[in-house]
Amino acid sequence: MSSVRDILSRLGGIPVGFATVFKTFFRKPVTVQYPEKQKPMSARFRGRHHLKRYDDGLEKCIGCALCAAACPSDAIYVEAAENNNDKRFSPGERYAKTYEINMLRCIFCGYCEDACPTNAIILEPIEFPTGYTREGMIYTKDKLLEPAPAGVQGTPQATPAGKFERAILPFPPIDVSV
Amino acid sequence: MADLINLTIDGIPVAVPRGMVIVDAAKKIDNDIPVFCYHPKLKPVGMCRMCLVDVGTPKIDPATKQVVRTEDGKPVIAWMPKLQTACTTPVSEGMAVRTNTKQVLDARNNVLEFLLTSHPLDCPICDKGGECPLQNLTLAHGPGLSRFEYEAKQHNAKHVPLGDLIFLDRERCIQCSRCIRFQDDVADDHVLQFHDRGRHMEIVTFSDPPFDSYFGGNTTDICPVGALTTADFRFKARPWELDSTPSVCTHCPVGCNISLNTRLETRTGGHEIKRVMPRQNEQVNEIWTCDKGRFVHHFTRAEDRLTHPLVRDARGKLVESTWEAALQLVADKARGARVSGVIGDRIANEDAHLFGSLFSDVLKDGAVAMSPAIPAAYADIARAYGVGKDTDFKQLGKGDTILVVNGDLEESAPVWFLRLRQAVVDRGAKLVIAHDRSSKMHRYASRIVTYELGMAAHWASEQTTELSAELKSARNVLIVFGDEKLSAEGARSLARSLANILIESGHAGKANSGLLPLYPHANTQGVFDMLPATTVTTGKVDVAWLVGVGNAADVPQADFTVVQELFLTDIANNADVVLPALSFAERDGSFTSGDRRVQRFYRALPGLGQGKPDWWIIQEVAKRLGATWQYHGTSEVFAQMAQHNPYYAGLSYETLSQAEPQWPPVGRADLYYGGTAYDNSGGIGSRYAAPAEQSGFNSSLEPVVAPPVDMEALQHLPHTLYQDGELIRRSKVLSGHVRAQRKEAETA
Amino acid sequence: MTLKDKRSADIEIILSKYPTKRSAVMPLLYLAQEEYGYCSDEAIREVADLTALDPTEVKSVVGFYTMFFEEKTGQYVIEVCDDLPCALKGADAFVHHCERKLGVRAGQTTPDGKFTLRTVMCIAACDRAPVAQVNREYRYSLTPDGFDKMVDELKGTV
Repeated sequence: MSSVRDILSRLGGIPVGFATVFKTFFRKPVTVQYPEKQKPMSARFRGRHHLKRYDDGLEKCIGCALCAAACPSDAIYVEAAENNNDKRFSPGERYAKTYEINMLRCIFCGYCEDACPTNAIILEPIEFPTGYTREGMIYTKDKLLEPAPAGVQGTPQATPAGKFERAILPFPPIDVSV
Repeated sequence: MADLINLTIDGIPVAVPRGMVIVDAAKKIDNDIPVFCYHPKLKPVGMCRMCLVDVGTPKIDPATKQVVRTEDGKPVIAWMPKLQTACTTPVSEGMAVRTNTKQVLDARNNVLEFLLTSHPLDCPICDKGGECPLQNLTLAHGPGLSRFEYEAKQHNAKHVPLGDLIFLDRERCIQCSRCIRFQDDVADDHVLQFHDRGRHMEIVTFSDPPFDSYFGGNTTDICPVGALTTADFRFKARPWELDSTPSVCTHCPVGCNISLNTRLETRTGGHEIKRVMPRQNEQVNEIWTCDKGRFVHHFTRAEDRLTHPLVRDARGKLVESTWEAALQLVADKARGARVSGVIGDRIANEDAHLFGSLFSDVLKDGAVAMSPAIPAAYADIARAYGVGKDTDFKQLGKGDTILVVNGDLEESAPVWFLRLRQAVVDRGAKLVIAHDRSSKMHRYASRIVTYELGMAAHWASEQTTELSAELKSARNVLIVFGDEKLSAEGARSLARSLANILIESGHAGKANSGLLPLYPHANTQGVFDMLPATTVTTGKVDVAWLVGVGNAADVPQADFTVVQELFLTDIANNADVVLPALSFAERDGSFTSGDRRVQRFYRALPGLGQGKPDWWIIQEVAKRLGATWQYHGTSEVFAQMAQHNPYYAGLSYETLSQAEPQWPPVGRADLYYGGTAYDNSGGIGSRYAAPAEQSGFNSSLEPVVAPPVDMEALQHLPHTLYQDGELIRRSKVLSGHVRAQRKEAETA
Repeated sequence: MTLKDKRSADIEIILSKYPTKRSAVMPLLYLAQEEYGYCSDEAIREVADLTALDPTEVKSVVGFYTMFFEEKTGQYVIEVCDDLPCALKGADAFVHHCERKLGVRAGQTTPDGKFTLRTVMCIAACDRAPVAQVNREYRYSLTPDGFDKMVDELKGTV
């Protein structure tokens, strides 16, 4: 007696294959129409770099170039300059006058994030660097710097004397009780 | 040097000269005892307590006065009850030092923790970050955590200017007093001091103008933290980003060894000098350099540098041209013509040699001269009776006499001032000064002679016999002289009288004795050595060919003028062809300092625009005039020159680039004594022997008649360090000083 | 009018007491302080001139010693010791009282220019703390009431 199973096995994989096709036919596709549509990324995905600001609109970056020192592919170039109270870009004495990242060289390892003493540079899972020219892939400071928060003036700002003396804000006191 | 002391450091035996302190003795066996306040070039004070070590001496039996020994014959060590500062404790026979006990390591840890209680830890924005002894030693010996709260730290307003060249960050200061001691003991400008005490102690200056010193930049080098920074380098780059190229300073006859620190810069689209640092050469500048040498580098990337050959067109305007057209034009004009060449004394030996060869071998009717003309009148005497080949300023001391005639050492050769001052003040050499005005060196003189303005030559010729008798008993006699307020004949007469003094007192051609001329620039001797002796043409010539003469007053009148220059100077602006040359930072070459030390400098920057090195320009014209020269680089020119120039025989780029370990070691991989007096890898150069030292040289007295006082020479301004010039005017930080000195000179 | 013009006789006497000019820096600074009320910048430069020192060195001496004043002081300078032994006898609370009474913080001068209140390091009278020095005159075992009385008296006498 031939069971259904026998018949099916004699027919080979054909019905199995059709069954798979039919099953998948009604499923949503896994591919997305990039760049019109984008997949949600993990919150910790390392996309392109953003230079952050404080809530008062000042840039977090102080131009210390530790990111450039940490960068394994030598993709970051920083030139620093001095702040003053009439034209202040960042707290403290120093700010980044030039800040450039060569996105073609960047390997998105995130070492720059780790090296940053002010958490100024963050690799965020939004927007991926693409371009048609090599020059266009060098992201300058105006591209990297995020806009000032709504209702707050961007940089440079005129600030009162003595308010933004320090570039590096204090760490919370370390508990050394045993 | 026979007086050696034996001691053991961590069980390792070491023998060092008597009087050496433990820190230096440990350096001999590569044991780096950490220090902050100690610096081998300064007197020890023992302020920072970082160098604490365990010290013991052999136990002496009070009864027998003999060293107590164990059964196996080793001396019993009596350890001192407390740790001692290794920087102030001199070595003694049989001493034992322990640098790695728990007690010592704990002491270092605790000292660092205390130093950091008030340190702002703003390393990311600190110019010293990356080459900072406090950073290095904290990593090596310090605690990882602080038990002090950040908010309890001393907070001061940032960035106090100490003068216009140096900034002070009071929070970062660890009160080691290296800067104060440098200013007091080395520069002798007492313009820095501590103010207040305890936790409020800070560095102040109260001089007028503030921080009034030619040597202030050195304090930023020796500062072991980022408390002192220069206005020039402030926030310009991080130290690890910099490329360092060995070079030689071009501004005075000392020939200080420097390092050019360069980095990429978007504005200039290429490399740029970010700072100039002294390079250790104990024979030349030790680890110092003056502020002029440090801050006059901006001209190398000045906006108005010449980048294209310029040729005067039919309408009489200078227009951009091509090298081919410009060189051909120069060659056509020079062929068969009466040519008068003038070459400036900042130009490298190789250029000067080719320029000299052009006039002696290629051009039919020409004469070549050096600018300025006055030093050329006495450079042969200064060379013949110059300081002996093995002269070492450090050996000058008790029994030696230094005679300074008609020049201001600090203004004309600042680092010689530092070194000769130490010979007098610290080591007891006798100083005699003869001048028409007062100078800082007058403070240390045991005898001062003041003569009328412009009467230096007369004074020297009249005093020859008397001075010679006086100097006969001196161990060594070093005669420093300048050509202020003198005509060419007057300067030559002065040099000849001084040479006579050397001969008559028996000091001619000896090491540590001789003439030391205060030439205007770095390569006056070198250019003079390179040029053939030609009779200077007078009157109008067909072609004047001026190489790097700046704004010299004495250029020949000609129908056609060729200028090789960095900038469109007034002279260049009136020329018919202007050829853009390269600065010393953009090419290789060699200079010969005032004491005849031949030193190499190296290319640190790419050339600007279409600029070419002077030797190349000269060779290209010579080729078009039929010369068969085929030099591919300065090393070939130098080799050819050394074959034909007897003074330079035996020298080559290889011998000049040989470096030897320097003592005291201040560089090392971890930038041990702070600052960045880098290891000397580019060579310490080589001094060629003075003719008077060589056998067969006839050192004979020549009678001197001083020429009458030259009224025109009396109008010359006395030489000042920051006197106006094409290069210093383009310095971004020194131009204010230039204006100030110009004003001072005008009102005087 | 310079110090030299005004006190040349005193300056001569002071300078003659010492083998080198620089040794006379402290007495000359006292003289200058007496004349100007405090060690002004001009006073420091004048003393530097008299002692052949660099002004920075004289400035450093003024900065080191607490009894040279670099700023204009009140007519009466009240210096209260708040070092450890005095603090154990309530100097801190006493200083607070002084501040309340005078209406200024330690280190400041009252708006009428009468009093300057300062805290100082040990003035060698720990046994009778709290102690204050009023224009170099010692006042021992001070109480808040005693202080108030003293201040009122000083106000009244002028």
